[in-house]
Amino acid sequence: MPDAQRHPFLQGLSKHRGAPPTVVVIFGASGDLTARKLIPAVFNLGYDNLLPADFSIVGFGRKPISDDEFRKIATGAIKEFSRRELNNDVWDHIAANTSYVAGGYDEPAAFERLAKHIAAIETKIGREVQTLFYISTPPSVFAPILLNLGSSGLAARYLGRRNQSKVIIEKPFGRDLASARSLNATIRSVLEEHQVYRIDHYLGKETVQDLLVQRFANAIFEPLWNRNFIDSVQITVAEEVGVGTRGGYYEQSGALRDMIQNHTMQLVALTAMEPPVSLDPESMRDEKVKVLKAIQPLRVGPGGDVCRAQYADGMMGGKQVKGYLAEEGINPQSATETYAAMRLAINNWRWQGVPFYIRSGKRLARRVSEIAIQFKRPPGTLFAESDKFNLAANTLAFQIQPDEGLSMVLNGKVPGLETRMQPVKMSFRYSTTFGSNTPEAYERLVLDAMIGDGTLFIRGDEAETSWALYTPVLEAWAAAGRNGMGSYASGSWGPECADALLADGKHTWRQP
Amino acid sequence: MTKIFDALPGLEVPVGSIAKSLAGMWEDTAAKGGPAPAADDVKATQVNFVLHLGFNTTVEDAVRQFETAVLFSKRAPCRVVVLCPLPIDDPSVEMQAKIYGECHLGKTKGDTRCCEFVLLSYPFAARQYLESQLSVCLITDLPLYYWVHRFASIHRLNDYQHLLRRSERILIDTAIADPEIFNFKWPRPEAVHDLVYARLLPVRQSIGQLLSGYEPAVLIEGLRAVTLTHAQKLSAEARVLMAWTRERFAASGALANVAYTTKPDRDDGALKLDFEYANGHFFQWHGDTVKKNAIIAVDFGGGRSELHIAVSLLTRDAALSDATFF
Repeated sequence: MPDAQRHPFLQGLSKHRGAPPTVVVIFGASGDLTARKLIPAVFNLGYDNLLPADFSIVGFGRKPISDDEFRKIATGAIKEFSRRELNNDVWDHIAANTSYVAGGYDEPAAFERLAKHIAAIETKIGREVQTLFYISTPPSVFAPILLNLGSSGLAARYLGRRNQSKVIIEKPFGRDLASARSLNATIRSVLEEHQVYRIDHYLGKETVQDLLVQRFANAIFEPLWNRNFIDSVQITVAEEVGVGTRGGYYEQSGALRDMIQNHTMQLVALTAMEPPVSLDPESMRDEKVKVLKAIQPLRVGPGGDVCRAQYADGMMGGKQVKGYLAEEGINPQSATETYAAMRLAINNWRWQGVPFYIRSGKRLARRVSEIAIQFKRPPGTLFAESDKFNLAANTLAFQIQPDEGLSMVLNGKVPGLETRMQPVKMSFRYSTTFGSNTPEAYERLVLDAMIGDGTLFIRGDEAETSWALYTPVLEAWAAAGRNGMGSYASGSWGPECADALLADGKHTWRQP
Repeated sequence: MTKIFDALPGLEVPVGSIAKSLAGMWEDTAAKGGPAPAADDVKATQVNFVLHLGFNTTVEDAVRQFETAVLFSKRAPCRVVVLCPLPIDDPSVEMQAKIYGECHLGKTKGDTRCCEFVLLSYPFAARQYLESQLSVCLITDLPLYYWVHRFASIHRLNDYQHLLRRSERILIDTAIADPEIFNFKWPRPEAVHDLVYARLLPVRQSIGQLLSGYEPAVLIEGLRAVTLTHAQKLSAEARVLMAWTRERFAASGALANVAYTTKPDRDDGALKLDFEYANGHFFQWHGDTVKKNAIIAVDFGGGRSELHIAVSLLTRDAALSDATFF
């Protein structure tokens, strides 16, 4: 919203300093995400003076714990996980307005109690407050929570006004197209789309947001950002860790559901989308949906566009580690992939013929997330002698984590009398330019939802479009069982089937 | 002013070899076994920042402002250049330079960053060469910010037009500046930012957030008087806060006949804003900048409600950061 259209007493203040009185209700209050991310995010927002003066947290969960116990858990979470040390001046103020309501997610009476609790907070404040519901629970209880928010009247509070109820939903947004549609139908039965904030924390990362700035605020890139100059795009979301103690969860998920369908596709969309007409949330999300819809259906099977594999025994950091099938809680006959790679073809004017290679996996050589744009080679007339001229394709790489930044590979002359050349790397690192004490993704996203800015959240049709692309792949893999499942050594960069995806285009995977 | 130059930290180097000395600073420290990280890994530069210590600056004040610049560089890694002009007009006095580096160590390697400082001392006569001398101390192509501190006469700034024209922002503190500052012809008035306004951010925010909960029409209906009561030492803050309040009411459509009054209070930290209405409504924001809290009492027709909040003026480095970037 342009500054001049804001309330006169908010004009001139950053939009992030204008949050209205808010009660954040966390469903799954005793869960891991709440401790690791949400409570520290709230604390850091308070530290930066970005919370409204009338701010309350209400934890909601099945465990019958007292307000005091919840506050102790929250304090412990800040000590353990916050990027800043606990500051009692900041936290005591928030903790004084922190409480807990115990109840079942499918228990209407519990939601009536929650509604009364929120009404009591509002009465105490003496003004209207907005409620921001954060659903941080297993997906199996998304629907009952949403339905109870509807039936208790909590979802419709102040609908259509600035203080209307808002709901943040954590991934997964379904496990296939049908379930995503079903979840969206449930959401729409109690909420309007502009009340819903589907969170993908990748969108809260500085480098991901910087991708848009680099593309659209620098005149040198956008003219080259098309099939005439770009040879291929590689997107990597690699993890070093295995499934650890999350085997039970991971068996129901796999790399495609856990990483590719959501995080990686957001990176694809931001890399490939057309310039939006404005920075408003709908313009941005319209363009993302358009480019996702232009991705061609994936061919599964030999010579196809997809590859899946499981990590086998190998070596990580000089130590032997066991393979996926030997991990705790894993079925020895498991058909769940720990690695997935895809070759995407985007059928539009800008990208036709430019392959987008994407991959994500566990137990890979290094933890790294990056987008690498490889440009076409220059015509080799001047520097054609390959023994003298080590001519590299120009590559622009956005490193999303760790060591956030970007680098550009150029060709430079090796000093000396002879004209020899070699690739040289030009780098920009966030930490050495801006310092690294930047807000965590969750801080940005929670605050954005609080002020009603949905730009960095996923719209319902965006989630469905992504599922529409991948559901046939998931179905084919489910039907095939372990047939076609590849394997890769722990600590490597992935399986052979992934290399084969790139061989047609005479490309190879980067080892970032 | 030589006392200022002497009092500030740093290693004196020939003016002609500032760049070389800066490059060598990290290597020398490491070579001598000092805890210097590899410069390319941690040397951080986001912007150029010039702190100009005017003739009214005392040694103690200069050290204090230098420390503020160091804290600022921790927030926003930058190349800091400190200008220490000498109140003498003797061309035989040579320009002097010092270099200084400071690393901020965080929890992780990624939190470690090192900033470089250059200090220049020069006689009044040398100011005509300053633009060129300064240019070699700054990082090429990065934005420049210019903090003008305690000028004896604001008109001396005419000698620094190159900085006034080139800087993204010019930062001044109207609480301590020459009163002529309001009449000075800035080449780019939009670039001038007041540190008093920045210090008031938490106050403006808490008032703005609360009042934005009411329709502008409700806020101006029956508005008769706006009174700002303040501690003596906060007269600049009171002036700026009142101007802001007046501007916001004008944007809300308030009539011109509202009485705006500012009056001093004996209370050391007082900053109190009261809105009086003909219809019985009221708004009170009563802050204590020493105790760092405020009580907000309000009734716009829904009955009286009261809110106790923690609030304080921004610290010096936070205000500098806000005025620089926001």
